[in-house]
Amino acid sequence: MEKTGKNLLVKLREQWRDNPLFSTGIALLVMVIVQTAALSMNTSFDSFGSWAQNWLQNWVSLLRGNAGIGIIALGMTFVIISGGIDLSVGSVYVTVGAFIMVVLNVSGGPLAGLGGIPAILIGLIGAVLLGGLLGEGNGLLISNGRMPPFIATLGSMQILRSVTQYFMKAQRTELPEAYKSIARLEIGGQQLMPIIYWAVLAAAMYIISRKTTFGRYVFAIGSNERTTRLSGVNVRAVKRRVYALTGFLVAIAAIIQTSRIGSMDYASAGSGFEMDAIASVIVGGTSMSGGRGSIIGTVFGTLIVAVMNNLLNLIGVDPYLSAAFKGAIIIGAVLLQRKDKS
Amino acid sequence: MTLEMRGIYKSFGANDVLRDISFSVGPGEICALLGENGAGKSTLMNILGGVLPADRGTVLLDGRETVFRNPAESLSAGIAFIHQELNLVNDLSIYENMFIGRELKTRAGFLDGREMCARCSEVFRRMDVDLDPRAMVRELDASYKQIVEIARALLMEASIIIMDEPTTSLTDPEIDRVFEMMRNLKSQGVAMVFISHKLREVMAVCDRYTVLRDGSMVADGKVSETDVDELAKHMVGHEVRTQSLRKERELGEEVLRAEGLSRERSFEDVSFCVRAGEVLGFTGLLGDGRSELFQSVFGSGGKYQGQLYLEGRPVAVHDTKQAVELGIGYVPRDRKENGIIKDMDILENGSIVTWPRHVRSGLISWKQVREAFRKQAENLRIKMGSEEDLIGSLSGGNQQKVVLAKWLNAGPKVLIFDNPTQGVDVGAKEDIYDTVLELAAGGVAVIVLSSEAQEIIRLCDRAIVMYHGRVQGELPAGEMTEQEIMRLATGA
Repeated sequence: MEKTGKNLLVKLREQWRDNPLFSTGIALLVMVIVQTAALSMNTSFDSFGSWAQNWLQNWVSLLRGNAGIGIIALGMTFVIISGGIDLSVGSVYVTVGAFIMVVLNVSGGPLAGLGGIPAILIGLIGAVLLGGLLGEGNGLLISNGRMPPFIATLGSMQILRSVTQYFMKAQRTELPEAYKSIARLEIGGQQLMPIIYWAVLAAAMYIISRKTTFGRYVFAIGSNERTTRLSGVNVRAVKRRVYALTGFLVAIAAIIQTSRIGSMDYASAGSGFEMDAIASVIVGGTSMSGGRGSIIGTVFGTLIVAVMNNLLNLIGVDPYLSAAFKGAIIIGAVLLQRKDKS
Repeated sequence: MTLEMRGIYKSFGANDVLRDISFSVGPGEICALLGENGAGKSTLMNILGGVLPADRGTVLLDGRETVFRNPAESLSAGIAFIHQELNLVNDLSIYENMFIGRELKTRAGFLDGREMCARCSEVFRRMDVDLDPRAMVRELDASYKQIVEIARALLMEASIIIMDEPTTSLTDPEIDRVFEMMRNLKSQGVAMVFISHKLREVMAVCDRYTVLRDGSMVADGKVSETDVDELAKHMVGHEVRTQSLRKERELGEEVLRAEGLSRERSFEDVSFCVRAGEVLGFTGLLGDGRSELFQSVFGSGGKYQGQLYLEGRPVAVHDTKQAVELGIGYVPRDRKENGIIKDMDILENGSIVTWPRHVRSGLISWKQVREAFRKQAENLRIKMGSEEDLIGSLSGGNQQKVVLAKWLNAGPKVLIFDNPTQGVDVGAKEDIYDTVLELAAGGVAVIVLSSEAQEIIRLCDRAIVMYHGRVQGELPAGEMTEQEIMRLATGA
């Protein structure tokens, strides 16, 4: 009995050391327990039913609120595993959002005459194409233009946001009701659609990362680009597709968000998204130097950051301090994941 | 200073890596430490270097018992370790590299460049080399980098220098330069330990030898009383072939032909052709352009002029993906840089080229990939634990076999080997030679690039010698000798 207990302990310690997913998972579990405790203290214990109702409600709104960042972080995971970085996600987000707002404007937009579903379809397809194209632009600069990803996306980040703000100075828009239901459609009295989109995309990205040549090439390039090229892989094409895929996912996040909120503040929308997405990826155990990481880790990472924000909210910490906690989580996570190499 | 190690034992868990090893080296002596990868050479030297403690046994310096608890203690006792991968910073000058971590300062606390340069020059004078301490390390060729490492050891007043495969990345004349240096130091009473796989070099420069196999000492003695065949036999435990491996074969159709290939500053007007079942060798000295030439043929070397024909049809190769689709394969030099992907497992490293062929409805069928890899792994006698282990868990020779496996599964028409046995032990070398010859026998056109004349002579049906990017001469099997190859390679 004692022996099996000891073995289990040794195994757990090995897992903790060698498997980044295990340690992030444990960290998430601990945070969820603390969050549940904090939530329980805020609610009165009338009945278990009302407590559970409360708990569930809190989780639904937490997941829904973070679906956008969660989806962007999926793309960012591929970018970082490939050895790159994408600072332009927040700007692509606001640009695609602005595009949707203009195209779908019920009162006087270019598609106002079409009305209803065809206009929405055109708007949606246009939005994901635009997102993909902007990403492809980044990819072109990085792969064919041989620019460091940091510089290329720093440039496109500035350009996109500034141009969008210039054109969208005093725009008031009204979105069609059918469009809003993309995110607001209720299932069992709850707006679950954003969570479902996130879950489906995460599952798809997980499969891509493990079972497709593209996904495995991304890992190979991040670990050793030369060897990958010398193995007959068109490295440039793969890199372009990584950034295009990220642009595509950012566009989906922008669709969900505009549909959910119904408006967009061009001055601040999407600002800081790049840092939030990078934080989720890093907390999830993906290596900043490329080659190592996972989609599941990123989902965990997004949740850890989200649960922490929720927790700070529940225990009434001043919002000005929340960024400090986020910073501490990032540093703490990387310290935990650091492998002992003495 | 005389070093003696007596009855050294070391084990990692249940695995005995060293059993009762004794080893010694005295002033003015060069002693070879021989053995295949995994024989225990590195462990023994790590004990001497203070990196690992011994389980049992004693280390004596000038007859006094000594224990090194860390590398610094070993260094201050006068033992310097020069690793296989050079530890120099390319973007610093020679003197900065030599004094790194021990910089001399002026009284005001600034770096004293003049004094450091003076001390470097003094060491260079003693070594009889002409180097400017202020030159950047980046500008030096590999042999001078090695010499700077040795100079650094002397600067620290090391009286015992351990060199781990110092000649791996050097060309023949560079090797001669390093050897001359070693003989010079020997005459000044420095003791040296020379770790190498290259037995000819051991014969050329060493006085005594010790051979380890599987953690035991299997032989030691004077170099003058042995020969290459005997040493090789000790290392692998059975007879080793040194004669030509070539067999007369019926050659097939012409597979690859190049006409007037040129790329600025790399190679000029190179023409050759290779037939199915033929092993064509390319050799020369550093800067001969053969590596650049075949990188271009494989589509990874940038634009070139001239025309390539594959099975008689003109082709232009723009990138590596296209090269693979055309049926050209390339086993690169510098395995660590170009051959392996360190964050991926053995299976993925051994199959990346053929992934697209195993895609079923968009997804890779790992089951198929695994089956195909297993066949090659068995063929190549790859020694591994699980296919899911990282590639880094394998020895150098087995890593190289994994790199080979990914190309064998691709089934190329032409397979180019660039320095295929670099940093590979004797046993694995023979396995790789067998694979090359099997491929040729199976109708593949094989091109072997090598700086080792012996390798070319043993393997190839025909050899092309290059000099400064041009074809200097072509030798049929009967006329290949080390002297003739060297004559052409030096431009004579």
